[in-house]
Amino acid sequence: MKSTRVAMIVAVGVLLAIGASTAAGSTRSGKKVTISVASLIPGSTQAAIKQFNAQVKEFEKRYPTIQVKPVEYQWTGPSFAAKLAARTLPTVFEVPFTDARTLGDRGQLANLTPYFKKLPYHNKYNNAVIAEGTDAKGQVVALPKGAYAQALHYNRALFKQAGLNPNKPPTTWAQIRTDARIISQKTGKPGYVEMAKDDNTAGWILTTLVYSLGGRMETGTGTHAKATLNNTYTIHALNMLKAMRWTDNSMGSNFDYGWSDINQAFAAGKVGMYISGSDVYTNLVQAYNVNPSTYGVTTIPLANNKKVGVLGGGTLAAVRPDAKKAQLAAAVKWLDFFYEQPLVSKKQAIRNAKTLVANKQPVGVPALPIFNRTQYNLANLWIKPYINVPVGQMKPFLNGIFKQKLIPEPEASTQSVYHALDAVVEAVLTNKNTDVVQMLKQANAEAQAAIRQGA
Amino acid sequence: MNTVDQPGGPALPSERGPSRSYATPRRTPLTWIRGGGLSAFLFLLPLLFVFGAFSWFPIVRTAIMSLQHTNFVQAPTWVGFQNFRAVWHDPLFPVAVRNTAYFALLALVFGYPIPLIAAVLMSEVRKRRGLYSMVAYLPVVIPPVVAVLLWKTFYDASATGVFNTALGWVGLGPYPWLQSQQWAMPSLVLESTWANAGATMIIYLAALTSVNPELYEAASVDGAQLLRKVWHITLPQIRGVLLVTLILQIIGTAQVFLEPYLFTSGGPANATLTVMLLIYNYAFGNSLGGDYGKATALSLMLAGSLAVFSLVYLRATRSWSTR
Amino acid sequence: MSEPGSGGGLISGIEWRKPSIRWGMRTAHVLLLVGLVVIGLGPILWLAKSAITPTLDTISHPIALFPHGTAWSNVRQAWSDVHVGRYFWNTIVITFGSWAVQIVVATTGGFALSVLRPRYAPIIKGLLLATLFIPAIVLLVPLYIEIVQLPIVHKSLIDSYWSVWLPAGASAFNVILVTRFFDNLPREIFEAAEIDGAGPFQLFWRIVLPMSKPILGVVSIFALLASWKDFLWPLLVLTNPNKQPLSVRLPSIESQTSLGVFLAAMFIACLIPIAGFLLFQRSFLRGTGLGGAIKG
Repeated sequence: MKSTRVAMIVAVGVLLAIGASTAAGSTRSGKKVTISVASLIPGSTQAAIKQFNAQVKEFEKRYPTIQVKPVEYQWTGPSFAAKLAARTLPTVFEVPFTDARTLGDRGQLANLTPYFKKLPYHNKYNNAVIAEGTDAKGQVVALPKGAYAQALHYNRALFKQAGLNPNKPPTTWAQIRTDARIISQKTGKPGYVEMAKDDNTAGWILTTLVYSLGGRMETGTGTHAKATLNNTYTIHALNMLKAMRWTDNSMGSNFDYGWSDINQAFAAGKVGMYISGSDVYTNLVQAYNVNPSTYGVTTIPLANNKKVGVLGGGTLAAVRPDAKKAQLAAAVKWLDFFYEQPLVSKKQAIRNAKTLVANKQPVGVPALPIFNRTQYNLANLWIKPYINVPVGQMKPFLNGIFKQKLIPEPEASTQSVYHALDAVVEAVLTNKNTDVVQMLKQANAEAQAAIRQGA
Repeated sequence: MNTVDQPGGPALPSERGPSRSYATPRRTPLTWIRGGGLSAFLFLLPLLFVFGAFSWFPIVRTAIMSLQHTNFVQAPTWVGFQNFRAVWHDPLFPVAVRNTAYFALLALVFGYPIPLIAAVLMSEVRKRRGLYSMVAYLPVVIPPVVAVLLWKTFYDASATGVFNTALGWVGLGPYPWLQSQQWAMPSLVLESTWANAGATMIIYLAALTSVNPELYEAASVDGAQLLRKVWHITLPQIRGVLLVTLILQIIGTAQVFLEPYLFTSGGPANATLTVMLLIYNYAFGNSLGGDYGKATALSLMLAGSLAVFSLVYLRATRSWSTR
Repeated sequence: MSEPGSGGGLISGIEWRKPSIRWGMRTAHVLLLVGLVVIGLGPILWLAKSAITPTLDTISHPIALFPHGTAWSNVRQAWSDVHVGRYFWNTIVITFGSWAVQIVVATTGGFALSVLRPRYAPIIKGLLLATLFIPAIVLLVPLYIEIVQLPIVHKSLIDSYWSVWLPAGASAFNVILVTRFFDNLPREIFEAAEIDGAGPFQLFWRIVLPMSKPILGVVSIFALLASWKDFLWPLLVLTNPNKQPLSVRLPSIESQTSLGVFLAAMFIACLIPIAGFLLFQRSFLRGTGLGGAIKG
């Protein structure tokens, strides 16, 4: 009967539509290989997007058999898990130092070792950095994108407005507290703000503070590590925050800053000082068109004992484990071209710098070496003529950072450790009568449980 | 040959005749088709497919997964009630339950009587009642995410935030709103009530206007005052609607996710962490991969609690209804 | 718009003539209307105003009315940089598809259960009733895993609109609603049609569906509202920004967008729902007043 036949045709049509519209494998039969790559943070400016596309074009010109699809990308703790589960990560994606090894151990990252060994510069890597991208079996599962150290970013304009000298940023925690108070009194804007969102950033910054005072969050490694979240330095750091928040009232009235929010507030001139990675200037320009004359950065003050140091981290680029051989080879070529070449090849470094400058993107943002020191200095020399960031304003950081000891993030279950600390930071900033000791004890138990499970 | 479209067509129940009531005919595929079985089945196909694949199968799977430990790489292993125990002992579990109950309670206190009172008043409006309905319902039409993000702007805790500025005119504030562990949850409830009260108001209004006016007339003749009429006539008459909206509201607020997720991510310091948000965090919170066992276990615990509550509620209200 | 019935009747004609009652009620009504306007309309009007106010003004003087003029550039940027139009279109596509699936499932299923009544209908009805009492969270995780990798075909529906459309159809409420409605249709019409030679498909298409307009209207409104409110599910299954509806996209760009532009985007997102509501108020309000049909 007609309508039965119609029904059948509709049913088949539906099934075909499902088949056609599902994510198909990205390798086309024939000559071209297609890979998707992580590009920019959602909401980046048109200029930033143009710059990225220019680089993609250059790559495709060099390798005509590879087609690259940029996919906007931002790693945050919660969103990465969803993408991992949904298998919607681009072929090339980025992960922080904190997660790469564990993901590699679990088979979530492709093994790059055979391709790695063929790279001409594979011996020049800084050992500590490449170790972050090497799994327990010794396989290389990710290549470094960049390394950073935590830094204190400050708004020079607000400093001036408050009567402080923007060329003499604070060098001790006591000075940070004083300057913050002066800024908030004289300008009405919070002098110092800190990340306090529930997405692990609060714990990340608190850990930074604790390192700068001489404490550690863990001893030992792997699932046998011992959580030491509730050490005296953590309590000291939280008391510092408490004083700034409640006694001085120099931290403003809004506290739910995440990594992006705090950059947004800073670029809008709403806050005086904050701590974040040394490389955030790129984001400040790419997403918020920050006014360069207002930007200043210096090192985080370290206390006076032997265990102090500055928290260092970084980002790695990895490849999906289910990438087919042709895609994997193409992906490594992209890793080489986009992430590493600008640091090891003079020609590529200059070309890269030119493209960035042409699109008004920052060149010369302070970065830490991922190769050895010689290579690092060389790379900086190559791009020197193209540097368009206010280097003079970054001098306090550049001069001081190599005198500071770089401490890697807690090794075991890093994100879970940070997550356990989030609530403590939030509590201190929103409740005057927080029982810091009790909350830290709970946080420590939570972190220890996660470490034991390897989560 | 297609037997379905014979003249006279497949028989409807009224016409299935003797082959169903008396004799026991041989049931072959042909008799099934002739009896209209195939067309019934074809009509049911969309329902069976959609429900089977996207409702019943996942429900069964939830029960199974709650008893397993799921790892992305290897096959899942059976772990008995370990997930349930892990959830029960999670220090965040009692926090989430308490917060969810708090939200539901606050939402009831604000969101239940106010629309009712407004609806009673509205039902007495003689002219242009439509204007009232329209204005009341407008917030419901705003996309919920937009409403939350808009109110997030309102809740800026600095002195120049929208609410703080307005309250500053009358000498109140500035208040911390979402930046305080005490104020966060009530702030969420306030927005939620704003966004949803209009819908309840309309439902009440429809019920109120269907109350037989003769009842009121009879009461007036007996000399009843306004409030007594409301208490003794209005409320009992719309009892059914009141009871249904109450349970629906409780069940709905027990599953609140959008507000805590967008406003505060469960903060500050887990003050707005609800059960649904905890389930989400179990499944998608850890950047190294989620714990589906705990997520499904907690889902079942929530569903189970709501089911028990509904049964108790229905039994209690049934005895009240038949008074 | 006037409601059927004489309007309450709570206050009788005699009482109305008493000045205390009359003025008391009038005052209450005025207060109510003012309250509704300020509370209901206020936020939306503020949004409209701030959408065209420069960000700096919105931050420092949020309630002032254009202290430094307007900023229509916000709207322009919202349209061209934030691409509000694209996400809005996605929302419409998603809503339409979900609606279509719900209508198909509810009408065909309801027809079979109510009119054709196969032997196993009670089993299905029982399953549907049971599903009604199971809250949606129970489905979330396994449904998600299923979408990521469909059994048998081993394909992923992630980033396909089918991942939102198909599960939307599994609304037991709709099916039960439609089944009850069909149950109340007069059987004589079916029998008459049968005598005239109508098969089940013609019965469905030519007789039952045209008579179902009221219930289809109600189901459509519920489908529309459900799709509108849906946040978590599209958030999980639509990871490609180009396919995301507004509800998913707006929060993810909040941190990267300046406040003025963001508010402009939000306002644009409200325009069509508000316009649609103002145009179709009557059916909206009548349909969602369904509760009035339930009596103690």
